[in-house]
Amino acid sequence: MLFNLDGTKPIYIQLSEWLENEILNGNFESDQKIYSQYQLAEIFNINPATAAKGLNILADEQILYKKRGLGMFVVNSAKEMILAKRKNQTLKRLVQEIVLEAGRLQVSKEELIEMIKTADIGEAEK
Amino acid sequence: MSLTKVSLTNVVKKQYVYKLKAYSQVFMSLIFLQLLAVFFSLNGVGGMAGGDESIDVEVKYFSSDYVTAFTMLWGFITAILITTKAYRNDDFVFVTNRVSSNLSNAVFLLTASFIGGITAMLSSYLLKVIIYYFISDVPIKSTTILEAPLELLLGIFSTFLYIFLFCALGYLVGTLVQISKAFTVLLPAAFFGGLILDGLRGKSGAIAYVFEFFFTESSLPLFIVKIIVSAGLLFSGAFVLSNRLEVRA
Amino acid sequence: MSVIECNGLTKVYGGTKALNNLSFKIEENKITGLIGRNGAGKTTLLKIIAGLIKETAGELKVFSEKPFNSLQVSANVIFLHDQMNLPTALNLKELLETAASFYPNWDRELADRLLDYFSLNPLQHYNGLSKGMKSTFNMILGLSARVPLTLFDEPTSGMDAAVRKDFYRALLKDYIAYPRTIIISSHHLNEIEDLLEDILLVKEGKELHHMPVADLKEWAIGLQGNTAVIGEWTKNKEVIYTKSIGIDQSYVVVRNHFTETEGQRARNAGIDITPVTASDLCVYLTSKTKGGIDDVFNKG
Repeated sequence: MLFNLDGTKPIYIQLSEWLENEILNGNFESDQKIYSQYQLAEIFNINPATAAKGLNILADEQILYKKRGLGMFVVNSAKEMILAKRKNQTLKRLVQEIVLEAGRLQVSKEELIEMIKTADIGEAEK
Repeated sequence: MSLTKVSLTNVVKKQYVYKLKAYSQVFMSLIFLQLLAVFFSLNGVGGMAGGDESIDVEVKYFSSDYVTAFTMLWGFITAILITTKAYRNDDFVFVTNRVSSNLSNAVFLLTASFIGGITAMLSSYLLKVIIYYFISDVPIKSTTILEAPLELLLGIFSTFLYIFLFCALGYLVGTLVQISKAFTVLLPAAFFGGLILDGLRGKSGAIAYVFEFFFTESSLPLFIVKIIVSAGLLFSGAFVLSNRLEVRA
Repeated sequence: MSVIECNGLTKVYGGTKALNNLSFKIEENKITGLIGRNGAGKTTLLKIIAGLIKETAGELKVFSEKPFNSLQVSANVIFLHDQMNLPTALNLKELLETAASFYPNWDRELADRLLDYFSLNPLQHYNGLSKGMKSTFNMILGLSARVPLTLFDEPTSGMDAAVRKDFYRALLKDYIAYPRTIIISSHHLNEIEDLLEDILLVKEGKELHHMPVADLKEWAIGLQGNTAVIGEWTKNKEVIYTKSIGIDQSYVVVRNHFTETEGQRARNAGIDITPVTASDLCVYLTSKTKGGIDDVFNKG
C-alpha cells in the first residue's frame, strides 16, 4: 500500500507530507487547485474524512487556502514555506534524534560528522 | 442521499409480484395433490353393493369431490406454510412491514385459491377423460363446457371461495403457531376433541354446525357474504396477532 | 441531521441483557465501524435499527421514526447479514430484479457488472452458494441498492483476502460517488480502519467509545522496558493492558497523555514508546482482565 501502515505516523500526516512533496516537485503551481478529499480518498483507498484532515493540516499552516465551493488551492509562496518548515522542524528533529541515538551508541560527534559526510544520497553535490 | 417515500399500496403490489415468483413451488404441490386425488377417484368415490340369489349389483360413482377436498386441504396447508419463518422472513430482506406482509399474503392466497379452483374444475374433466378411455361402460354426465356454462362457472366460483376460506383458517392457525408453539398441540386437540365430543353426544355439536353453516347454504349471495365475512375475520385476527412478531432466524 | 438516535437502549433475551442502556448518535453520510467482541450486542443492535426486532426498554429512532414495523424506515434501510434467508425458488438474477423493484436507487448495471466480476452465475440459486459467495452476493445487493442507511453485519465472512480487498474498494468508490450512511460491523478492524470515519466500540451491550478512527489510533500508547521503570512512569496512569516479557521487562498500554518532551524523557529513561493500533486497542479495551488470555494460564 502507499502508506506506511505500521502505525508510526498517522495516515493523515503522511498524506499531508505527500501533498507537500507534490508541491515541492512542482506538480502543483501557485493558485492551482490541489486534489480534493474525494480524489485523495480514491487514490489512497482511505475514507474522505481522513483525506480532508490531511488537507486541513496544510490549510492551517497556510500552505493551502480554501475557496468556498471550489476546493483547496496552493498558496503563492507554498514551496518556500514548505522548505522552511522542513528545515526548521523536520530536519531539526531528525538531527536531534541522530545525535541522541549516537549518544546512546557511544558514537562521538566527530564520528557522526564523518558518517554524514560519507552518506550516499544518490547525486553529486548540488 | 434523499429519503424515499413509499405508500402501502405500492409496497403490497411489489410484494405480491415478488411472492408469485418466490412462492411458486406451492403450485407444483397443487398439481401433484390434484393428480393424486384424480388417481384416488379412479376407483370410485362412493358406492354400494348388494344382491340376492340371482343378481349381484355393485354401484360405484365417480365425481371430482376428492379433488375439491384435496384442493381445500392444499389451501389450508399452503396458508400455514407461508406463515412459517422461512417464508415470512423473505419479506424482510427487502421493503416491508407486518401490515404489508400480511396484505400481500392475503392477495397471494386469493390468487392461489382462484387458480386452485380452476384446476380443480379442470381435473373433473381429466377424470372424465381417463374414465372414458380406461374404464368401460360408465355413463358420463355433460362432456362439453358449453352445455352448462353457468354451472361450470358457479362450480369454479364456489370452489374458489371454499378454498379461500380454508386458506384464511390456515393462515390464522399458522400465525397462532408462530406466536406460541403450544398451539401445535392445542389446536389439533381442540379440533379433534370437539369432533369426538360431537360424536359422543350424538347430536350436532359446534364443529358439525360450522360445516352446515357453509356447505348447506343454498342462496349464492348469502353464501358469498358468509365466506367473505368469515375469511375477513380470520385474516384480521391473524393480522392483529402477527403485528408484534419479531423476525428471528 | 442524526440518522440514528439511540437513548438507553436495552434488549433482554431470555435472562441475558444483549443490550444494556446503550446510547449514541450516528450522523449522516459517515462510515461507522461497529466493533466489539462476539456477544457484545452488535447484531442485536443492527436488527433493532433495521426494524426486525423490538427493544425491551429505551428508545431508538432511525430518520426520526421508530424502526419496528415502519414502512418508511424499511424502505430507507437495508440490512445485509449472513442469516439472510433469500427465497430458494429464485435464482440470483431474479433476486436482483426483485431488489430493483423495491429500491428506486437501484443500479442495474453496477449489479450486473459486479456479478460478472466476481464470477457468480446469475442462474444459480442462493442456497447453493458457498459461504463466501453468499457474502459476495449480499455485498452486491447492498452496494447496488444505494439505500440511505446501509447496514453490513460481518460482511466478509467466508470471503478470501482478494475478495475482501475488492469489497472494501468497491464500497469506498461507491460511497464517494453516492454518499450514504453506512455501518459495518466487523472482526477485521485492522483491514477496514482506513475505510472508516468513526468507530463505535461496544462492550457487553454498552457503548465504550464512539470517536473518529484517527483519534482512536492516538488514544493510547505502548510502553516497553524494565518493569520497575515502567511501574514508575505509569504510577498515576490508567493501565489498559499489561504483559510481562522475559524476567524483568514489561509491555504496558496506557492512555496517551504524553507530550513530546515527556516522550523524549521516557525514551531517555530506556522506555520504548510505540503506538497502539486501533485493532489491538479495541481488543485490550474489551477484554475481561488487564492481562488478557495470559491470565487464564498464569493462574495456578
